[in-house]
Amino acid sequence: MRFVRTSSLVLFLAAVFGGASRAALPPGYVGSTACGTCHEDIAASFTKSPHDLVETDKKRGWEGRACESCHGPGAKHAESASAADIRDPAKLAAFAADRICLTCHLNQPTQIGRLQSSHAKDQVACTTCHKIHANGPNGLVVRKAAAVNELCVSCHLNVRAQFQRPFHHKVPEDAMSCVDCHNPHGSIRRAMLQSFGANEPGCFNCHADKRGPFTFEHAVVRFQGCGTCHEPHGSANPRMLIRQEVRFVCLECHANLPNAPASNSVLGVVPPSFHDLRSPRFQNCTVCHQKIHGSYVDRNLLK
Amino acid sequence: MRTLLLLAGLLPLAAQQATPPAAATPSAPPVASPVPSTDSWFSGYIDLGYRWQTGVGGSVDAYRSVVDLGSGPKLLGADFTITAPRNLFFDQIHARADSWGGEPYETLHFDMKKEKLYDFNADYRDIAYFNNLPSYADPLLATRGIALDEQSFDTRRRFANFSLDVLPGNWIVPYFSFDRDSGSGTGVTTFVSDANEFPVPNTMSDRTNLYRGGVRIELKRFHVTLEEGGTTFRNDQTVYQSPGSTNYGNSAAPFFGQTVDLTSLLASYGIRGSSTYTKGLLTASITPWLDLYGQFLYSQPKTNIDYQQNDSGNLVLESQLLFYTSQQYLVSAAAQLPHTTGSLGAEIRPFSHVRIIESWLTDRLHNSGSANANQVLAGLSPTEQTAALLSSSLVTNYNQQEIDVFFDPTSKLVLHGGYRYVWGDASDVILPAAGLVGAEQGTLRRNVGIGGVTFRPSQNLSLNGEVEAAASGGAYFRTSLYNYQKVRAQARYQVNTSLSLFADFALLNNQNPVPGVKDAFQAQQESLSFLWSPKGGKNWTVQGSYSRSTMYSDIGYLEPESLTPQQSIYRDNAHTASALFSGNLPHYFGLTPKLTAGGSLFISSGSRPTSYYQPFAKLFLPVRKNLAWFTEWTYYGYGETFYLYEGFRTHLVTTGLRFTR
Repeated sequence: MRFVRTSSLVLFLAAVFGGASRAALPPGYVGSTACGTCHEDIAASFTKSPHDLVETDKKRGWEGRACESCHGPGAKHAESASAADIRDPAKLAAFAADRICLTCHLNQPTQIGRLQSSHAKDQVACTTCHKIHANGPNGLVVRKAAAVNELCVSCHLNVRAQFQRPFHHKVPEDAMSCVDCHNPHGSIRRAMLQSFGANEPGCFNCHADKRGPFTFEHAVVRFQGCGTCHEPHGSANPRMLIRQEVRFVCLECHANLPNAPASNSVLGVVPPSFHDLRSPRFQNCTVCHQKIHGSYVDRNLLK
Repeated sequence: MRTLLLLAGLLPLAAQQATPPAAATPSAPPVASPVPSTDSWFSGYIDLGYRWQTGVGGSVDAYRSVVDLGSGPKLLGADFTITAPRNLFFDQIHARADSWGGEPYETLHFDMKKEKLYDFNADYRDIAYFNNLPSYADPLLATRGIALDEQSFDTRRRFANFSLDVLPGNWIVPYFSFDRDSGSGTGVTTFVSDANEFPVPNTMSDRTNLYRGGVRIELKRFHVTLEEGGTTFRNDQTVYQSPGSTNYGNSAAPFFGQTVDLTSLLASYGIRGSSTYTKGLLTASITPWLDLYGQFLYSQPKTNIDYQQNDSGNLVLESQLLFYTSQQYLVSAAAQLPHTTGSLGAEIRPFSHVRIIESWLTDRLHNSGSANANQVLAGLSPTEQTAALLSSSLVTNYNQQEIDVFFDPTSKLVLHGGYRYVWGDASDVILPAAGLVGAEQGTLRRNVGIGGVTFRPSQNLSLNGEVEAAASGGAYFRTSLYNYQKVRAQARYQVNTSLSLFADFALLNNQNPVPGVKDAFQAQQESLSFLWSPKGGKNWTVQGSYSRSTMYSDIGYLEPESLTPQQSIYRDNAHTASALFSGNLPHYFGLTPKLTAGGSLFISSGSRPTSYYQPFAKLFLPVRKNLAWFTEWTYYGYGETFYLYEGFRTHLVTTGLRFTR
């Protein structure tokens, strides 16, 4: 108890005299130097963190008070040394913790898709992925593909299982990471998918040969995207297809009679009658319709 | 000055006594402190080794399509960080490389930065795409036992990215970036002619360059990003068959008494494209209770195509029942795709416990193309020459509006409700119409109700659930989401400092009751994982996960030959599990060896029963402080119930040295 009292006294004096040296400190604030007297390891680490900019940049308005920019005024905590007297973002509800981050980070391009982000809607706080006190070579969040993937699947168990199917993107091999395809901060695309260029599907970042524009498009690619026919996380079917045989991938959509009045007006016309499905020639549609993603020269996607 | 001196004297005193009180005070849990980085200016490791593959039992092609790891010397991994010892032109350089030496996926990353001056990143990947599965590539295999490797390819794709941020952390940040995505390789494809299709070799080569630059203006109250970019694209493909050989194609049946064959072919695609795009992003904190978000995106890619085809053989023009001996087919085509996207959103916080999010999105894509084809058929009397001009149009206008309300009655509970309306229209037209392909139209109307709850009674336990239920009045495709219910639930429980559990549940149920469609789809997945790491994983750690998934799809279709209604039923019931043990072995000479073992398995039944096993073990033996020897064993076993000939199994043994600094 005596030890606690001594520490409190030391903190109090450090706060008082530290504060006296900074006349500009608003009431209730003690400055980061005082924080560092107890949280020595964090303070040492913090100097190498990207957030150290807050400590030194006058324009941001938190000069000398980087710790308190997130944890709030620390005078009372410095006096009592009680955790109850300081704001701990880790104990706040996700949206409340996020508001602290967004005080500085809202007006950045990273947040442009935040309203559409399922992370934000599901109360996944920034600190779930970003370690604010970290000082590693990659800043506040892991960057290496293996570490990124490990971080994501710690919540997305279902996706982890899907990637263990034999046909998958090379994510388990760490040649890719989840953020190659998904933007964890949110995007206007479904499932927080990344974009290519301005507003094209992120799949084209790697599969630019499928981008077109084609003279004769396969409408579903533009209207619904690659996920209509492919399971990008993994499949037991070759080429990550959604069905065990190619013909079923195609025929499930191409089953509408031409010019038939349909109340829900679906696209996809039944193939002409010479497609005899009893013959293996016609069971794998892409043997002939090889330009299935769109053709530059043939309306039937044959060449 | 005296104050400073007193403070300087007090700080070390306080620092020395800082840690024990925190640990001794029950009400103050210890703060998780990061490990300070090493003070060395150079740190990192490099793993060099050699891999032996014991040979593939079963299908080598299937092995290469799924795994594709080979034998030989490898740079298995490297990761270096250089911290500037003094005020140089950089603060830090970081480089890492993985899997070099003929590997199917080779990666390299480099970044260099100087605080508030620049941030440079470079990334490179070289990924092999090999795919040659007999069941997929050979339509004649089951009936005639012929393997022609149709629809197979052996290619590599290479991606390079360079980006530079100037003055990062300042209010105004210009940035520049260059991306290149290229691919090349060979394969087997089919040359489709009337009445027959011929497997022929092909070569592929494509390259896309993306240039972009912009400026981010980040102020306290608002932010604006303006970006301009553009791409160049070229794609050269060749399909060929050398003269002097006869290709009988997939159809052995005579056509009106004659064998249709191909004796020579040279077809080449010359595709050139370009695009420009504009991006404008805005966020603004108007008042303490209102944030605004908006973006405007516009792109317009274009392509020009020059296609030349010369082929000969005994070929037929089915529509006129004319046999010919050679053909020249030339196509000149072009396409452009203006694409506009805009979104606006607001987060409103009218009360301390209520947030309202309103967002609106529109996405408009209008593709138009034209193709001018000229065909000369020789071997007829007289020679026939035809020309055709086709034009195409593909249009979609997608719109979405959503409102969400979040209410947190306590700091541990958040309730969420919302509504989304999605609407749009689409059309796909090719003129002049021919056969069954002509003009198609679709409309999209969907009402979606959204609900969710997040409950975190303590820091050890969190529960999250969300549900979506939709009713549609129109969808573009028969398999599209129509009347659906989507459920997702997650639970995380930290039992104690050593053990944590996590559970995940997902369900999607989609029904399309429209007569003639009758789509019934249900997918469900449950997963459970644990992490057990006594003493913070100091000695050993065990983690595992298990997932069970089921999928059932039943949808009607028409058999093309007779227009007879049929059902397409797809089932997939899968078990997936993975486990990993990592532990320290008895130490020697102050060095601690480490053993890691585990793996994953996937077993499924249903429409394509499959099994896939990947156990592994790794032994890591430090030799000296900066040197370690490691050996890893991995087994890959793949089996198909319906396509036994695609199964494979192999052992891989890798051994190497890790140099650390």
